[in-house]
Order: sequence, then C-alpha cells, then structure tokens
Amino acid sequence: MLLPKFKFHEPKTEQEACQILTEYGDKARPIAGGTDLVVNMKKKLMSPEHVVSLSRIASLKGLQKENGFVKIGACFTVADMIEAKDIRENVNALSAGAAALGSPLVRNLATIGGNLGSARPAADLPPPLMAYGATLILKSGKGKRNIAIDDFFKSPGTTECRPDEFIAEIQVLTPPAGAGAGYINLGARKAQDCNIVNVASFICLNKSGVIDTARVILGCVGPVHLRAPAAEKILMGEKPDKVLFRQAADAAKTDCLPITDFRGTGEYKRAMVGVLTQRTLEIALDEAKKNN
Amino acid sequence: MKELINLTINDQAYEVAVAPNQTLVDVLRYQLELTGTKKGCELGDCGSCTVIMDGKPVNSCLVLAMQAVGKDIKTIEGLETEQGLHPVQKAFVEKQGVQCGFCTSGMILSAKSLLDKNGDPTEHEIRKALSGNLCRCTGYQKIIESVQAASKGVSK
Repeated sequence: MLLPKFKFHEPKTEQEACQILTEYGDKARPIAGGTDLVVNMKKKLMSPEHVVSLSRIASLKGLQKENGFVKIGACFTVADMIEAKDIRENVNALSAGAAALGSPLVRNLATIGGNLGSARPAADLPPPLMAYGATLILKSGKGKRNIAIDDFFKSPGTTECRPDEFIAEIQVLTPPAGAGAGYINLGARKAQDCNIVNVASFICLNKSGVIDTARVILGCVGPVHLRAPAAEKILMGEKPDKVLFRQAADAAKTDCLPITDFRGTGEYKRAMVGVLTQRTLEIALDEAKKNN
Repeated sequence: MKELINLTINDQAYEVAVAPNQTLVDVLRYQLELTGTKKGCELGDCGSCTVIMDGKPVNSCLVLAMQAVGKDIKTIEGLETEQGLHPVQKAFVEKQGVQCGFCTSGMILSAKSLLDKNGDPTEHEIRKALSGNLCRCTGYQKIIESVQAASKGVSK
C-alpha cells in the first residue's frame, strides 16, 4: 500500500512551522504521530503535496500544571497522557479517554493534537476535553488565538483550524472542589475499534450539594461531538441522585442524532447514549464527592 | 527525490536513501532486508509490523522512515544475543506460542516492552499490552502462556 508522493518538512521550531504552513497553505498538512494521516493517505483519502512534521518541535511536547491549568503540548502522546500524574490526578476522565484510544502501539505514536485535529466524531479525547471545557491554542504566522473546544469542530474531518495554523497546546482548567467527571466508550472490542457511542459527563456541586455546573457530551451520534442541552438543563440546580441521573439520561437520548450503520442501529445507539450518560454521571458524582 | 538518512537499528548505524513517502517498515524489509518485521494490514490495525522505537512498541507501517531518524529502533533481529535467544523468544518456542509465525515478531516485541516495564504482569495486563497485535491462528492462549512463562524467567 503506497503512500502518494509529497514533500516532507521537519521544522525544529514553531516559528519555522508557521513559515512553512503560511507558504503552502491548504497544500500542506501537519503530521505528528501519523496514526490518522498516514492511514488516510494510504487509502488515498488525502494527498497533501506537503507534509509538515511537528514532531521535532520540543516546545510542543511539554506537560505542565500552571496557574490552575493543566497545559498539554499538542505533540504529547496519548500513551504519555495515561502515565501523566498531573492528568490522572486533576482531570481523570481525560486519562480514561486516553486509555480507551486505539491500541498500545497506536497510543505510543498518536498525540492529543492529532486526535483533535483529525476531528473524527467517534474520537476518544474530545468528549472528556469538552466536559472539562478545554481551550485550544492555535498558532500561525499571524500570531496565536485561543478557541473553546466547543467551537472547534465543524464537521467530520474539519475544524476551526485554518490551513496556515496548527494546534500548539490544549489547556484544561483544573476542576474546582466539588467537581467530578466520567468518561465511558462502548465499542465492539476493547482495542483497535471505532467507538459505537462514547459519553463524558462533568458536574460541579456547590456547598449545599446542588449541581451548579453540568456538561454532558455525546460522541458518535452526530457529525461532531454534541453537548446534551436537555440533559444538562435537568441536572442544573438539582441535588444529584439516581432518579435525577435517569431523567438526565432519558433527556440525553433526545439530544442526539444517531445514524444506523454496520456498527449498530440508530435505536441501539440512542439507548446506549442513555446508559452511558447515567453511568458517567455516577462516576462524576463519586469523584465530586471525593473532591469536596 | 530520495534523500540520504541515518537510521539506528539494533544498535547499528545504517545510511539509506529514502523517499519521503516510504514508511519505516518498507525500508526495513526492502532496503535493509530485515524481513523479521512483517507487513500485514499496513494501516496500523494488526501489529505485525511492530518495532520498538525509543523503548516503545509502535506500528512501523505508520512511521515515515524520515521520522525515524535519530530514534533508537529495535526489530526482532536485535533480540538475540551471543547468549542465544531472548527469554521471551525462548518462551514462545517452548510454550508453542508460535503457529504460522506471522504475528510472532510483533507479539514478542510488544511482550518484551511490557516485561521491561513490569516484570510480573497479570494475565489482564498481558492481554492489554498485546491488544494491538492480532493473531489469526493460536487463539491467543498459547501466546499469553508464553509471556507468563517468560515473565517468570525474566523476573528470576
């Protein structure tokens, strides 16, 4: 299986990467781990004339906890995310997302930036990152801009990232006391499959034990990952319990548009949205209680 | 346009002319004749092209050869020493973890990477570590038993 021909660039600095991407625009495509782009190029779904590797840029590989944020470089690998104490201890649902992605072999190459940039509606990292309300830092020759992850995905495979831009960093605000999040993915196998449905939930309890922030994110059941507004509305301002979570789960089923395909019927996926919403809310509540 | 690059494979330096669109597995097999690394799906699904890059097992069909410059690459050919086969290799032979052999190099490299980190893994940890390597003959049981046997040998 041959790759189409292309010119290969390996900038050593962010500045150099900006120059190359500005010069070639939509003829160029950034590559990091390659677990998505190389596959798409082999299948001839994509054939950029210029492939720009971001893997040699040291400043894109860091992980730090700073000013209440966990800041993850776009080229930080998914395997390293599972190992990272800062991620596990502060944003555990993101560790769960990382552990669910691909196989160990894929995780050793794949990066957080790549998983977002490829914008697959079944991807494992967007739901937990949306649940935590993450921000993406995009850079180009024109400077940098911050974009909320909720505004990042446009349609399958397309994002807010312009051809001359690249994802440089992902910033996740460390959740306050009383907050918790959960992530569950459902697939046909435990590794190397495409999710059938994946859900992440985040709740934050105030001092009287009432939910004052709720975010429920549904994957695989729309062209992009979806917020579940009806479910979130039911949760807000209420004290959490099983009955409330069941109501929210039922509401989440009306918040999605699953299609019937070889992975499952729309009806089945909708039912699983309910089950996973309830279960991720229970995980979130357990964690919220521990963090209080 | 081919370009001369330097690769470090099994602690040996190679200078090789590659085009940007050549993957590491193709350079290993067709230019360096290190055919122990197999090519199965070529899309990162089957794990038969597993090599260890900077201490971590990866699908070499997804790595561009040029991306491998400066990395420490280990293939199945690099496991045997003057003392003979690597303990994981020995265990696969003794416990009949090899049937047709096509997945074996990948299985052994994934298992070796696991045992380097965790000398006494549980069965679940072994199955998880090998979950990116597909076998179409043994049904996995003999492979798991081989890794368990090796872990006992390695931790001694």
